[in-house]
Amino acid sequence: MGQDFVEVSINVLKLIVIFLLIVQAVPVLVWLERRGSALIQNRLGPNRVGWMGLMQLLADAVKFLFKEEFVPEKGIKVLYYAAPVVALIPATLAFCAIPLGHPIKVEAFHMLGHSWGPYVFPFQGYDMNIGIVFVLGVSSLAAYSLLLAGWGSGNKYSLLGALRASSQVISYELALGLAVVSMVLFYGTLNLSEMIRQQQGVLVFQAFGQMISVPWLPNWGIFYQPIAAILFFAATFAESNRLPFDLPEGEAELVAGFHVEYGGFKMLLFFIGEYGHMMVASALMTVFFFGGYQIPFVNPDEVYQNLTLSLGSSTLASVVTGFLHHLVFFLKFAIFLWIFIQVRWTLPRFRYDQLMDLGWRTMLPWALGNTMVTALVIFILNRSVGG
Amino acid sequence: MQGLESFFEVGLNHYLILSTLLFACGLAGVLLRRNVIVIMMSIELMLNGVNLSFVAFSKYMAMLEGQIMVFFVMTIAAAEAAVGLALAVAIFKRFREVNIRYFEQLKG
Amino acid sequence: MASESFLFWLVALLTMAGALMTVTLTNPIFCALSLAVTMVGVSALFVTLDAYFLAGVQLIVYAGAVMVLFVMVLMLFDLKHEVKAFTRGIFSGALKIATVGLTAGLVSGAIFATMRVSPPTGEPHLAPANDLTAALGQLLYSQYVFGFEALGVLLLVVAVGAVALARSKGGTHAGS
Repeated sequence: MGQDFVEVSINVLKLIVIFLLIVQAVPVLVWLERRGSALIQNRLGPNRVGWMGLMQLLADAVKFLFKEEFVPEKGIKVLYYAAPVVALIPATLAFCAIPLGHPIKVEAFHMLGHSWGPYVFPFQGYDMNIGIVFVLGVSSLAAYSLLLAGWGSGNKYSLLGALRASSQVISYELALGLAVVSMVLFYGTLNLSEMIRQQQGVLVFQAFGQMISVPWLPNWGIFYQPIAAILFFAATFAESNRLPFDLPEGEAELVAGFHVEYGGFKMLLFFIGEYGHMMVASALMTVFFFGGYQIPFVNPDEVYQNLTLSLGSSTLASVVTGFLHHLVFFLKFAIFLWIFIQVRWTLPRFRYDQLMDLGWRTMLPWALGNTMVTALVIFILNRSVGG
Repeated sequence: MQGLESFFEVGLNHYLILSTLLFACGLAGVLLRRNVIVIMMSIELMLNGVNLSFVAFSKYMAMLEGQIMVFFVMTIAAAEAAVGLALAVAIFKRFREVNIRYFEQLKG
Repeated sequence: MASESFLFWLVALLTMAGALMTVTLTNPIFCALSLAVTMVGVSALFVTLDAYFLAGVQLIVYAGAVMVLFVMVLMLFDLKHEVKAFTRGIFSGALKIATVGLTAGLVSGAIFATMRVSPPTGEPHLAPANDLTAALGQLLYSQYVFGFEALGVLLLVVAVGAVALARSKGGTHAGS
């Protein structure tokens, strides 16, 4: 058994907190995006409501709530209402599988006349062995929300947007998947926490029976797999329909793509879905290529031991370690989110044929080549070590 | 009382019956529908039913070969869907409809 | 035990409802969407059977790619309501339904009969889920590597064939 009341209720709480985290981060991101775009374009952006315009998001949310509720006459009602709700599901489920901090270990203690056994709470929604397969599988369901919205609206612009979006998502999933495959080959595991654990300390690797150490670089995936990192990041832009790949909503050609007919709170839900994808992409970038929640050059277990010595209580030390690493994770995560925003306001949009060309003729061959070279190099290195 | 017990003790039987029902649904779809694409979807349904029984046997017989088989079936199903949809597109271009009876026009 | 059986019954009902709707609904788009629900349900059933990797693959391949392809093609065709969704003829229809019923009945009868004679004896649990994916990979790339390679060739042929079929003369608007 090993699962009692405390463990179950804390796990449930974690799921709720992660969901709220995604939903609550969206207004902040929207504010950041508007202020950031204003900074880039040399204007002010929202600065009237509250300090630095931070209350603007609250005002926006209230405005969204009180907007008129409408349904297009020729649309299909069920699909029209289902689409924004479906848009929330993939990002939320995927985000729950990503480790956000060092696991917290709680020692056995006595309370209310019972003894509560030692617990280990991973700093993530659920720890799974097939982590990355689950994340990819769940986020491939995102195409349905676009298709439902496009078809349910009964508008040809939204249908065109939805078709563009889904074909784009399917095309770039190949390059994305192959980049992930090379990372899986490299780490030799599908488990995200295990991948993070392999990126501890400074850059050390074994080649031809010799240990090669580079003390001025952290042991991050990007130094082993730079091509995979670039391909992965570019493909996630296309997956989350952000500029320069936001053909599905290209205002000049398609008005607003699949969400032309949406307004008010339903529109906001699509927004949350899109930003959720951005967040999942940034978190995966951090986990694959930038050491996850770990402080550069530092081993989390050493942090834990030092804190145990200085704080005296191992439970307290574990909690502090967990939150410290969570903060580090958040910092890396925020940098990637900012890159998403910066790119949106820097690059122009592709043409549709250019988009397909890039996906199929440039990124797919590079990803395939990278996978093959990775497999070959791993094979050769392991052979020379073994014999 | 035995009915209640079988309700709570889920075993191999339950999965096999479910897989049979899925297969029967798919079979009914293949026999009764006229739209080519719906017929192909029914075939996918039948394949899924079979996959379920493979995985169930794999667990209850403690043999991994069942899962390998499912892996192969999935790949072939994806290939079949690609070719089938290409055929459906070819039919649709000619007749503006994807009814199964137009397939006899394909010969020659 | 109770929570596991609850999960099974919930997912099984969802899957069956999706399957029935796939066969009975007259709008092909709704058929495709309910089939997608069935696929997700089957993936959840794989999880209850400890086949985690296959569950993920089922989500990626079936629900994420194949069904999205179906839905996209249906939307491109712009098929509204079908006038004749089902085959004609009361007698042949009844015969077909009887065939389906007979098949289902025979197979489930066979299952019950076999189970009564010789219930599965082996220990129902394989290794913990931890090693299962790795073991699957080992088996796939050692003992069954020929089948795997053959599948690769098949996929290549299918890709070429599908492109050749879809590029046959006339665009979507060529008319008959």
